[in-house]
Amino acid sequence: MSWQDLVVIGPLVGAVVVAVLVLLVDLVRPGRTVPVVIVSVGGLAALAALVAATGAVPASAFGGAYSVDALTTYLDLLFVAIAALTIVFAPDYLAPRGLPLGEFATMLLFAMTGAMLIAASTDLLLLFLGLELMVLPGYMLAGYHKTDGFSAEGAIKYFLLGSFSSAIFLFGLAFVWGLTGTTRVAEVADALTRLPNGISAGLGMGLAFMTTGVAFKIAAVPFHYWTPDAYQGSPTPVTGYLSVGPKIGAFALVLRLFVETLGPLSEWWLPVMVVLAALTMTLGNLVALTEDNVKRMLAYSSIAHTGYMLVGLVAYAADPTGRVDGLSALLFYGAAYSFMNLGAFAVIAALQKRAGVTSSLSTFAGLGRREPILAILMTLFLLSLTGIPPTAGFFAKASVILAAIEAGGPATILAVIAMLNAAAAAFYYLRVVVYMFMREPADQQPVLKHGALLWGGLAVTSVLTILLGLFPSALLEMAGTAAGTLLPH
Amino acid sequence: MNLANSLDSYLVLSGLLFAIGTFGFLARRNAISMLMSVELMLNAVNLAIVAFGSFIEGLKADGPIIALMVMAVAAAEATVGLSIVIAIFRNRKTPLVDEYDAMSR
Repeated sequence: MSWQDLVVIGPLVGAVVVAVLVLLVDLVRPGRTVPVVIVSVGGLAALAALVAATGAVPASAFGGAYSVDALTTYLDLLFVAIAALTIVFAPDYLAPRGLPLGEFATMLLFAMTGAMLIAASTDLLLLFLGLELMVLPGYMLAGYHKTDGFSAEGAIKYFLLGSFSSAIFLFGLAFVWGLTGTTRVAEVADALTRLPNGISAGLGMGLAFMTTGVAFKIAAVPFHYWTPDAYQGSPTPVTGYLSVGPKIGAFALVLRLFVETLGPLSEWWLPVMVVLAALTMTLGNLVALTEDNVKRMLAYSSIAHTGYMLVGLVAYAADPTGRVDGLSALLFYGAAYSFMNLGAFAVIAALQKRAGVTSSLSTFAGLGRREPILAILMTLFLLSLTGIPPTAGFFAKASVILAAIEAGGPATILAVIAMLNAAAAAFYYLRVVVYMFMREPADQQPVLKHGALLWGGLAVTSVLTILLGLFPSALLEMAGTAAGTLLPH
Repeated sequence: MNLANSLDSYLVLSGLLFAIGTFGFLARRNAISMLMSVELMLNAVNLAIVAFGSFIEGLKADGPIIALMVMAVAAAEATVGLSIVIAIFRNRKTPLVDEYDAMSR
């Protein structure tokens, strides 16, 4: 390891340092919220500056296993924003339940480190290590309210299926490594283009196992069974994080794996992805229609959004001219989805400030009169999730679907399915709006006082949700540059 | 396929172990047994990695290192898993996953 290597992995080291600092602060001042928030959010701001500064120049370290490029920078900044927003939203939910913020923030920061490692890995083994570092703290966060039966139940289901899928992914990785002779992403891609007798049975099996493992992680149908229970059971701020952080992290893995490593085989995996995307969108939306619990409904909606993002991947693979529109649409979708979904979960967490309040639809009855600002913000996030202009969600969906139509072939069919799904999804998102503004609550509920942190976080997510809809070009340009680095040079 | 002291024989054994682990995960209803099944799957992976490493000349150096990394990850996963199992056992007084159905009722 040389000095240059250390400089290149600077952001990753910085993330670990911030996590350890938070732990130390919690050790000195146990159970206090304010010092933890100051150190973690301040540390994340410094980290974002470091990422932006070091990401300007592409570099690689450790013999090409770790590389920093525009994609790494884009994803790192997104992960940092997700972690900071989650920490800001958490105290209002955790404090009334007697749950400490210190360990929560530390776990979250370690999970973020794992996601950042995925974004920078150009080696299959490092991708796996990043994946594990991202999901292991996730299991712990899901079970963070350990005396609560739901939280523990969500955690065990998340853990069992998560570790099962990790084992499947790793089995595939072992065969791909053994039969291509390398774990470096570029060298595997190179080996796959020079196969004398086509894909052997062992290599095909390895690739199929890796695909299955990844499909579990992004919660694509039919590998989504863990999602509803894990999301519903987890403490609400954790659900918000789980629905965006590990999902974007897993999509980073998808980009590194399917585009960069398996790019030469795109005609092989294209049909698989078309079927996965169609099933994921449709089933996610259909089941969400029947759910009366808003957290569970948003869990199925997050499955549906996985499907929309996969449309972007299909659009890239189906495009005969090799344009990256689909990938940049996917990356833009990831950012837009993160902000609007975190905002929606923050509103649910705010309503659950009073311990014992469930996330069922009836909680939202009469919210428009009781707490008008929260109700308006929730409406904004739900409209954005539906995809109504001028919000970020509209532009994200439009760019994915446009890329699919331009690509032609099987992607056109997916574009049609995506549009039909978006129309169906409006029904369940808007049902919450109807409850908030047109239903009377069954019993009188007190008006809650929310912390300044929560309002600040909501302001950031709502402003971003609107700004990304009105002026998407700046972020779209970043996403385009990031997607461009994935193509073979 | 030559099964006498060849790479294929070890890969077949690894595949069998992995299949047994998968079957155990899907068929057993006890959370601890499911955890053990996942560990068996990870050990099958390790067997495949070590076999590739010792039979293919170019992979001799990498094999043991990757196997050690996999063991470290498996240990971390088991630690987290067991603590989650303990947490839910204290809640429900049962290790049977069939009875963890409070949310779907």
